[in-house]
Amino acid sequence: MSGKNEDLISCSVNGKTISVPKNTSAIKAFKIAEQDIAHYCYHPGLSVAGCCRLCMIEIEGNPRTQIACNTMVTEGMKINNQSKQIKEDVQWGLDFHLLNHPLDCPICDQAGECGLQDQYMKFGQYKPDMNQKKVKKAKVVSLGEKIVLDSERCILCSRCVRFTDEVSKTHELGIFNRGDKSEVGTFNGKELNNDYALNTVDICPVGALTSKDFRFKQRVWYLKKAEAICTGCSTGCSIYLDYNEEGFFRVRPKPNEDNNSYWMCDEGRDLYQHLNKEKRLVKVYPSKKVSTSNFAVSSSSSSSSSSSSSSSKKAIKYLKSELENIKDSTKIGVLVTGQYSVEDYKEFFSVLKEKNSINQIYHWFDQKNSKNDFDDLLIRGDKNPNTKGLLEVAKDMSLKVIDSSELKNTASNLEILIVLGPEYKKFFSTIDEKLEYFKQALQVFYFSSVKLDSLDSISNVTQIPLQSLVERGGTYINYKGLKQKLSILPQVIPKILSFSQIAKVLNGEKIQLEPLFLKTQPVKDNQFSFQKN
Amino acid sequence: MKVNRNIKTYFLLSTFSGMKFTFFKMLKNLFNKKKMITLNYPEEKYKYSSRFKGTHVLTVKKDGSLRCTACMLCATNCPAQCIKITADEHKDSSVEKYPISYEIDILRCVYCGFCEEACPVDAIRMGPEWQTPDKNGSKFNYDIRYLAYRPQLKGGVESSLDDKERHSWGI
Amino acid sequence: MEVKILTQHYDKPEYKSLDGYKKYDGYNQLKKALTLKPDEITEMVKQAGLRGRGGAGFPAGVKWSFLPKNNKTRYLICNADEGEPGTFKDREMMDKAPHQLIEGMIISAFAIGSPKSYIYIRGEYFESKKIVEQAIKEAYENNLLGDNILKSGFSHHMDIYSGAGAYICGEETGLISSLEGKKGQPKLKPPFPAVEGYLANPTIVNNVETLASVTVIIRDGVDGYRKHGTEKSPGTKLFSVSGNVVKPGNYEVPLGYPLKDIIFNLCGGLKEGRKLKAVIPGGSSAPVLNAEEAMSVNMDYEDLASKGSMLGSGAIIVIDDSNSMVELLKVLMNFYHHESCGQCTPCREGTGWLLKLSNSILSGSANLNDVALLEKVASHMKGKTICALSDAAAFPVLSFVSKFKEEFTSYATSNVALKFQATNVQSYKRG
Repeated sequence: MSGKNEDLISCSVNGKTISVPKNTSAIKAFKIAEQDIAHYCYHPGLSVAGCCRLCMIEIEGNPRTQIACNTMVTEGMKINNQSKQIKEDVQWGLDFHLLNHPLDCPICDQAGECGLQDQYMKFGQYKPDMNQKKVKKAKVVSLGEKIVLDSERCILCSRCVRFTDEVSKTHELGIFNRGDKSEVGTFNGKELNNDYALNTVDICPVGALTSKDFRFKQRVWYLKKAEAICTGCSTGCSIYLDYNEEGFFRVRPKPNEDNNSYWMCDEGRDLYQHLNKEKRLVKVYPSKKVSTSNFAVSSSSSSSSSSSSSSSKKAIKYLKSELENIKDSTKIGVLVTGQYSVEDYKEFFSVLKEKNSINQIYHWFDQKNSKNDFDDLLIRGDKNPNTKGLLEVAKDMSLKVIDSSELKNTASNLEILIVLGPEYKKFFSTIDEKLEYFKQALQVFYFSSVKLDSLDSISNVTQIPLQSLVERGGTYINYKGLKQKLSILPQVIPKILSFSQIAKVLNGEKIQLEPLFLKTQPVKDNQFSFQKN
Repeated sequence: MKVNRNIKTYFLLSTFSGMKFTFFKMLKNLFNKKKMITLNYPEEKYKYSSRFKGTHVLTVKKDGSLRCTACMLCATNCPAQCIKITADEHKDSSVEKYPISYEIDILRCVYCGFCEEACPVDAIRMGPEWQTPDKNGSKFNYDIRYLAYRPQLKGGVESSLDDKERHSWGI
Repeated sequence: MEVKILTQHYDKPEYKSLDGYKKYDGYNQLKKALTLKPDEITEMVKQAGLRGRGGAGFPAGVKWSFLPKNNKTRYLICNADEGEPGTFKDREMMDKAPHQLIEGMIISAFAIGSPKSYIYIRGEYFESKKIVEQAIKEAYENNLLGDNILKSGFSHHMDIYSGAGAYICGEETGLISSLEGKKGQPKLKPPFPAVEGYLANPTIVNNVETLASVTVIIRDGVDGYRKHGTEKSPGTKLFSVSGNVVKPGNYEVPLGYPLKDIIFNLCGGLKEGRKLKAVIPGGSSAPVLNAEEAMSVNMDYEDLASKGSMLGSGAIIVIDDSNSMVELLKVLMNFYHHESCGQCTPCREGTGWLLKLSNSILSGSANLNDVALLEKVASHMKGKTICALSDAAAFPVLSFVSKFKEEFTSYATSNVALKFQATNVQSYKRG
């Protein structure tokens, strides 16, 4: 969309004059003019189906009502959806939708973010005339490993079918049978298991498609959403993280025209698991060598996580003293993955450079995937969200970047190997190879937010917990140089150090440890109070 | 005026008149035990109406399983936030969702009855019991076993609308 | 009187074959047309005022002139998916004069510059399909189809494609979807098929009778064609008369012919002792006319529209007083419920609702509110969907209920319903 004036045309939406780019559909004009318009089948990322027949509008000079999604705005067009006729049409359109809808909202996972609920509250007529039996269809049909279908709830908007046809191009779904017996389903023998399948759950306006992973875990009105970016690969899709006091529960794509448009891959949806307590590294695991030293005693005597901050402080102080003992900077190795933010790298490297005149880093890049792999939609071979940021920081600080395979030769010379480990071990298929290098080095300090069980058996590794990516925040630079900032969310595990705190400790500064407990949410309002008429 | 006022402020007089009232009431009760208003609690207990909002009851279906669908509307509506439900997928696809745990922290409950009102399937009711003492604080976290199948309920209270009936009616 | 122009030689069995067809002036119009310029033919068809015979009555020449001027391959599709209840004219035309259709198609294809055409024939018409297939084969053998037709330099190929029996595939975009191998569902308009149709190429879809009529226009010229019919609805038309008449069948009369004459002269009137109750003049989707309207209406597009109905495909269903309108409506609703493709919500859910309502009215379990609801539902289905099926289901409901209100209310107030059934319907022996 260019901002040139000649590409803009003016039109009037509900009496409000706006200018929109050429080839804009009327429904987009409504969105631009911030006017309410009911719709189900229209989705900005998909083709126009025009089958829900709810986005009815009146065009001045045209006696017939039209649907907004298939009407292109022309210069001087006057459109509105405020007339009594249109409102009645929408009310009846909604009644038709609800005619065979089972209304099992209590069981339905979509309740609370359901298109039918929302739009009926907004546009509905509240006096249904339906007095006949409903059509019964299949319920709880498994469509594969990830998705459950409920045909009764389906309003046949065909968004999911269009998604598999147009976006994922896998063509698993179709609408079968005719009339009110129509049902969404998969073709014979096929399952809806493609890499983007869960997007169909997001775009489903009702609870017909639900995610097996999220099913019945939480009611959506208990969840808060936070904006974040997915750090599963170098695309860095914009996402919403849904969380509450009990932890993180799901990841949904956030529409972002510049990057991921409306979608995200299914792999990235596991992100929330890495943020929850179960998979996190919650305390310091000292190596056998240092377990007799001062800091380790306190950590082993009290294994509760509340002491982890003090013990990790001690561990870092120990690292600092060890680093000070080494005069030859080539004896210190820094192995880095591209999973941390620009700010993290800057803070960490600047301390190491200043104190220990480090001038080279080892870049841990998963060799299994080629950097340039791309599936033509979103998934990229580079499984690090910030490879570009890492290389930029290294360049700015004139640090030499060496591929981690070099460690094969150099690891045995290293007295200290500092590792900023991967947070998604699923994507790091070469972890075992790296563990061999760890064994060769004299001491390894492994920083990560995620617990890596195979490290426990290696005697010279000290594992130090880190805040997870959403607790740290920071800037990530994706494959095409798009800088995206992550906001900071409440901590799941209290008293874990952030990178800036680690850098401060390494720098010899004193840090004030605020007891950062998970912020308790304010008492929620009764969300079921709505105004009837 | 002054005399009158003095008499009124002279408390002994009102004391005696109060005792007179008490004395006559005692006599009345002594000779007419049946019309006595007070009870000999705890030997005798008052029976409230069936609509009394007392301890919660989870209703059951005809087959004896819980009626609750774990929609969490009661928990959402609860002003004291004392209801905690964990839902799970049911093997029977016509049931689909059911609670694997349903806990009410009765010490936090304010007996407002909002849970009963919020329930779309008549799964929770406020029962007639009001006297539920116990010796230990941890015993006031009522679980499914207590709420639905405590001995006083004699096998559970059946809900008025069954799933199967609802499905067969096509609603 | 019948005016036999298209059906002139239908009584001769040899007309079916190429030789027989040639004996009666066959394929001379093609030879004549190939000497003209394509635009001249389009202009002639436009001037002749030939209106689409499939149902909508859109002028064929105007439709042809909508084709965009680009290099994309143009397709001609003959809509022989005659699904409208009560219509059987195309079948007779294909059975008795397949070459007439093929000739008309080649001329039309020449006019629009199409190298390829399809005949989309209804799945149930397997006999007709065999006949048309044979005719196409004959035409290919005699260089009437294929490359360089009659050494004119014009090449045209023709294929026949059998539908699977869906009513909705008679709708032009639904037909195109089906022809493309997709589920037979109408497509959103715009873009119209003339701009983006079969395989996103410009496509013209015309009815069998329309295409066959092109030969008549070429033979008689514009003035010769306009001799019959009215000013706005020129030409002759085949009417398929069915229902309670003595001689049902196809009758070719000029447009503007009184319906009364069709029923009582051509078809021999009603059975002894019965009274005309209602007439559906243009296929089941057309609003019904009551006896009074039916007696005064002329069968052309304008006069029927002024009576609130439409000419449609020209299927005249005559209903006498032995029929219950409620029962009839239920049958129609059953049909539309079965045939709704399920794409647009008002039609998908509404047709089912209408069926359930008419069922409950018929069974006597409904009340007066349900009759009102029937009208309310239908009025909210009208004009809300991609194609006209929802309108087609709504029109009969609206006209049936408004014109035969007493009957519906008598059903709704149950006792009278029984009375009606006992006195009126069952007193006749059916059949």
